[in-house]
Amino acid sequence: MIKISYATAIFVFCIGLYTILSKRNLFKTVIGLTIMESGALMLIVTAGYVHGGVPPLIPMEGQAVNPLPHAFTLTAIVIGASDVALALALVIKVHRRYKTVDLDKIRGLKE
Amino acid sequence: MILTLAVIFPLSSAFVIPLLHLYGSRGLRLFLPIMGLGAFVLTLAAAASGFGDYALAFFGGWPARLGVVFVADGLSSVFLALAAFGCGASFLYFYEQMGTGPWRFYVIFFLLQASMNGVLLTGDLFNMFVFYEIFSLAAYLLVSYSLTWQAVEAGLKYLVMGTVGAFFILLGAAYAFIATKTLNMAALAASFPQMPKATLIVIAACMVVGFSLKAGAFPFHFWLPDAHSSAITAVSALLSGVVVKVSIYSLIRVSLLFFGDALPSVFDVITVLGVLSLLGGHLMASRQQDIKRLLAYSTVAQIGYIMIGVGMGTATGIAAAVFHSFNHMLMKSGLFITAGRLAEEIKTRNIQDMKGLYYHRRGMVLAFTVLAAAIVGVPPLNGFMSKWYLVVASVEKRSFLAALALVFGTVISASYYIRVLSVFYTPGEGFSEHESRRPVLAIAALFSACCVVLGLLPFFTPIWELFVEVGSKALNTKDYIAAVLLK
Repeated sequence: MIKISYATAIFVFCIGLYTILSKRNLFKTVIGLTIMESGALMLIVTAGYVHGGVPPLIPMEGQAVNPLPHAFTLTAIVIGASDVALALALVIKVHRRYKTVDLDKIRGLKE
Repeated sequence: MILTLAVIFPLSSAFVIPLLHLYGSRGLRLFLPIMGLGAFVLTLAAAASGFGDYALAFFGGWPARLGVVFVADGLSSVFLALAAFGCGASFLYFYEQMGTGPWRFYVIFFLLQASMNGVLLTGDLFNMFVFYEIFSLAAYLLVSYSLTWQAVEAGLKYLVMGTVGAFFILLGAAYAFIATKTLNMAALAASFPQMPKATLIVIAACMVVGFSLKAGAFPFHFWLPDAHSSAITAVSALLSGVVVKVSIYSLIRVSLLFFGDALPSVFDVITVLGVLSLLGGHLMASRQQDIKRLLAYSTVAQIGYIMIGVGMGTATGIAAAVFHSFNHMLMKSGLFITAGRLAEEIKTRNIQDMKGLYYHRRGMVLAFTVLAAAIVGVPPLNGFMSKWYLVVASVEKRSFLAALALVFGTVISASYYIRVLSVFYTPGEGFSEHESRRPVLAIAALFSACCVVLGLLPFFTPIWELFVEVGSKALNTKDYIAAVLLK
């Protein structure tokens, strides 16, 4: 059960990485970033999973799930959102100059 | 207390500046120098408090295993001092040039300084990631601050690469958390040696890839030359001098603390990355016609030097790497400030158009010459001293290939810096006759004087022994774990 969730998280992470590496469209690059982020976050969330666990609230019956990963995830989501917001702002700036978001047509800076 | 203040003060400065701006520019003019000075002094104070013994700060009084803890030891002290001087110099330069007008710049600047101090002080892996991302965001913003098309493109490139690196670090942290159920770095270090090798390899791979992406080591260096050359002068100096050093610090801290005993082969990987970025950076730099790009590629190469020192994994190696980081901050910040200022004044960055610059801008070109000689490694300047110790460390470890690469890289760097200098000193015409303003000259002179002094100091004072002590203390993870967890 938990093995599948790990594999899914890493699979999602790899999809994001592949998107960034292969696509020449700047918007798809940004989408790839968010997918990568989701993959990493999924992995953190599954870390808190306890089979048959209950919410970690005070009148507790049975074993509680680990609440820590959710706090991490919330923090990381905020960070990811600000990254993506800045990325999109910069993409808009690039688009204003070149009227395109295709990386092959944007050859401003030499390699 | 002082450790917390080193983060809180710049952070609240960043918050207060827009409020001051609302009430007119007088308050800003009054308080901005105080903020810059305060951040500088507090960072140095934090460095001083951690240099001798471990200085700790627990948030909310929780013990290290439960809460977030700030730790300052020898290694973070040296890097804190580096950050204080680098940030201070670039703050001075920008303030001298622009005054209090562009207040948004100072907001981002103080955010950067606060989060860099945070990365250098924190003893918690996830907290490190958070500070790391704050400082990366501030760095992306600073790169694209001027909003020219080069700056925007370079900023976007930096952002994409940096964020990919960040998520690799996050992935590594997630693995570490799954394996150990803790994120405190001391507790992680205590439990890593008992872990299966496969787990360690995955965590190490994520961490090394992430930090190399952030530091701009050779196979992952694409963003660095663009970002460092497209930014405005003060930011270039800050990025090359300080920001990459913070990534290097994280690499040293994580690799020593987590994998020093558990997985020593990490250091071989770091050495290989170092050799690659040394040779690649120097070879690319020798082909550049744009002076700021040349300096940026030279930064890639110097990161290679530092990573070779880290990869030795011995006290001498770490000491040499730390010493070279400090020297590189002085040399490269100085070079970017002098070269950037010259390029701004004559409105071109092409090296060929700078013929005869010496006869019109004597002070700046002389400072540039001293700094370039230092970075090439002309004895008795500081670049020579730290490169010497790096070679000594790699010979001690019997990795002669790394030592050869160090020497060979120095030869290439000599060739391209001499090319630049020969253009500067060839007679030529066509520049307006006015020397740069005094304060800029003073900053440049200060940097070059520091280079000379740090080169001569090891002959008279046991400064090298101090660095070796820092290195051996950083290697001694048992002390670190005991200091953090048992208090």
